[in-house]
Amino acid sequence: MVSEESERLQALRQEVRTWLRENLPEGWGTPAYVPPPRGTAEGQAAGKEWSKKLYDAGYTGFTVPKEYGGIERPREEQAVIREEMARTGTPPGAATLGYLAVAALMRYGTEEQKKRWIPKIMTNEECWCECFSEPNAGSDLANIQKTGVRDGDEWVVNGQSVWTSSSKFADWGIVPVRTDVNAPRHRNLSFFVFDCTTPGFSVKPLRQMTGDAEFSETFFDDVRIPHGNMIGAEGQGWYVAMTVLEAERGGGMRIGEAAAGITVTTLGGVDNFVELAKNTKRRDMVAWDDPLFRQRIAQFAIENEAIRASTQRMRVKAMKGQLTGHEQSITSTYRREKNQRQANMVAEMIGASIQYMRGDPRALDDGSWTYTFLRSRGNTIETGTTEINRGIIAERLLGLPRTRM
Amino acid sequence: MAIEFGLNEEQEMLKTMARDFLANECPMSRVRELMEDETGFSADLWKKMAEVGWLGLVLPEEYGGAGMNFRDLTILLDEMGRQVFPSPFISTLLYVGMPILAFGTDEQKNDILPKICSGEAVCTMAALEDDGDWWADSIKVRADRRGDNYVINGTKLFVPDAKSADYMLIAARTKRTEDPEEGITLFLLDTREVWGMLATPLKTMDETRKLYEVTFMNVPIPEKNILGELHQGWPIMKYIELHTTAALCAEMVGAGERAFEMTVEYLKERVAFGVVIGSFQALQHRAADLAIGLEYSRSLMEWAAENIKEGHPDTATSVAMAKSFCGDTCKKVVAEGIQMHGGIGFTWDHDMHLYFKRVWVDDNAFGDSIYQRELVAKALDEIHQLSGYGRWRRMPGVTGAVGQGMM
Ligand SMILES: Cc1cc2nc3c(=O)[nH]c(=O)nc-3n(C[C@H](O)[C@H](O)[C@H](O)COP(=O)(O)OP(=O)(O)OC[C@H]3O[C@@H](n4cnc5c(N)ncnc54)[C@H](O)[C@@H]3O)c2cc1C
Repeated sequence: MVSEESERLQALRQEVRTWLRENLPEGWGTPAYVPPPRGTAEGQAAGKEWSKKLYDAGYTGFTVPKEYGGIERPREEQAVIREEMARTGTPPGAATLGYLAVAALMRYGTEEQKKRWIPKIMTNEECWCECFSEPNAGSDLANIQKTGVRDGDEWVVNGQSVWTSSSKFADWGIVPVRTDVNAPRHRNLSFFVFDCTTPGFSVKPLRQMTGDAEFSETFFDDVRIPHGNMIGAEGQGWYVAMTVLEAERGGGMRIGEAAAGITVTTLGGVDNFVELAKNTKRRDMVAWDDPLFRQRIAQFAIENEAIRASTQRMRVKAMKGQLTGHEQSITSTYRREKNQRQANMVAEMIGASIQYMRGDPRALDDGSWTYTFLRSRGNTIETGTTEINRGIIAERLLGLPRTRM
Repeated sequence: MAIEFGLNEEQEMLKTMARDFLANECPMSRVRELMEDETGFSADLWKKMAEVGWLGLVLPEEYGGAGMNFRDLTILLDEMGRQVFPSPFISTLLYVGMPILAFGTDEQKNDILPKICSGEAVCTMAALEDDGDWWADSIKVRADRRGDNYVINGTKLFVPDAKSADYMLIAARTKRTEDPEEGITLFLLDTREVWGMLATPLKTMDETRKLYEVTFMNVPIPEKNILGELHQGWPIMKYIELHTTAALCAEMVGAGERAFEMTVEYLKERVAFGVVIGSFQALQHRAADLAIGLEYSRSLMEWAAENIKEGHPDTATSVAMAKSFCGDTCKKVVAEGIQMHGGIGFTWDHDMHLYFKRVWVDDNAFGDSIYQRELVAKALDEIHQLSGYGRWRRMPGVTGAVGQGMM
């Protein structure tokens, strides 16, 4: 069923196109464009500004109702906007995990809590971090050791998180805490929102293998959190956290292409690899003429289209109420591993050149392939390892019994 | 432009009806009987298929068909794949019925199509030769003009259902030029009244689909039985290739999904070391991988079928993508299916090998996943030329600037 686009939608398409032309950064889409450095205050500010602009134009914020600062538009309009953004490949927004808080708040938050926090997540004026993982609680998240003790109208929290992304820039955080040390697993946690400027909360950047520090160790040293910041009931924290993890596997509220479920703009979406392969010569053979690379690049084109087609299929199923939510583990596992395999291919294709990092004058495309290659190692760990996701597919989708440890 | 993948009400009905029909009329015990049978053809079953409107599913109502579309057809093929259904269905409808509708003369259409719909005509195609590959250069069987007739000489291989077929579409060479795609002509042979044709069963792996060697010795065919134009058979063969390739994707996905269901059921019931084997993580994670592969196989298959139905410009590439992916995935699914069943999965009596064989044969037909990926690579080349992506790029030390200023 291919539907002819109505005049209204065509006009919207035109509007978005014009808006993007006028508002995208100078030189966007050409080699002349130099992105602000990743993970710096400057980059974060640029990201915030860009996401606010999109919001003000009515091009983001579709995930929540109006009363919480969302923007309500018919689905077809959302699709048009996202497609147009995907077409130009819009710049990234600010580094924030606000969408995770939205998931928790929408399901478990009180009316007051929702109105207090969600609107500024929608505009991206306030940034968030997720303090879930601890040194001894990663895949085994229920093993969280942070403690919270009630003191009047406050909870006093002690402990540490690790791998906390975007904490450098965060205004707010979400954290599950052990509020009942005697209760059994899964019933001993409560879930809080906390202000990152609270005394006792500190951030120690952790350098990762790319050389950057996207994530940090975060410490809670007698951090006082108002009782009113508890999301869900006391002891219900595990279930709130699970809602967050589901949202995280779904990829959340990213802007532009990711949100559209469209990762590509041309059929196959591997034009950049074709270009690279045509320009790469190894021992006198152009990589694009080498069947080993041709086959792999073609395979990625196939996989991109598979992801695109599956996203559409799932969207239809979701509308009919035929999804369980665990399907996200399929998409999440596949996309992340594909990303990693792609990066491996590029590394093998360009050979010694993959060694040049950003800043070396010989680095290809300012070291972006190398960065992507190194960064992709984290893809299959962050948001829950692909092993954990395979377990979810096996148990929740296929109905296999719990793993024998 | 968004393609919707969900099934509409009519399609849901078709699917349910197909599943019920196949379960009742051709349970696995019947599949086994037909495997044992020399021709693997049941006239009785064929008649019933005609009665429920399958044989003319995508043929127009004026010929007695159901006038449904290609996506509808894949729903049926999907269900047939689940049952490793033995029948000359693809041979009749995709190899002959659809091309006659698309390229035949009124006389040919009026003659053959009603017979296909009513079940009177079982059809097939004789195209492949020695190398078993679907490409123009391999076609060497000759058709030479003699008076008002052509006479055919030579040997075809891998001809499905040759002994049950009433009509056979034959790809023969009528001219040799530099371009192997030029000079192929398609002839429609009425096999019921022919001398000089010998069909010998081949002993092949997938016994649910009977294949033959067919030898032609001065077999005369009247000129009016040419399908399309003289020497211009290849574009018709490309049409057959496109549609059958998509059809085989549907069949593979059906077969793959069924084989996977059987495997998951077994993982839940077989006990070893005091627990069901489905609790072993080594098997769980592999099962999860198969589930992932099947999700994307189905998505690509349905997308390709929708594209065919809509006549979308990306159709050929989407079909190649689907075939490549479905082939790779389903081959893995059936291999893992056997492995996860242990010894029993290796026996003749267990059905898993039927799925294994069907999938491998389907993957090979019209080019396997590697071949299809090369087709995709060629398409990417074209896209790249059109997109004008190229920009001047220099990779000191490792690469020269090969495609300077390329657009
Ligand atoms: C780039 C990046 C960003 C991150 N950002 C955040 C963030 O913002 N907030 C946050 O809270 N956390 C974050 N994390 C942490 C991430 O969620 C954890 O690293 C992840 O869940 C794995 O936990 P772990 O590191 O403790 O590894 P472990 O759980 O110790 O796992 C080690 C290995 O064992 C495997 N394993 C563990 N259990 C099982 C099992 N049951 N079956 C099979 N295999 C198993 C794992 O798959 C893995 O291969 C981030 C991580 C990365 C890499």
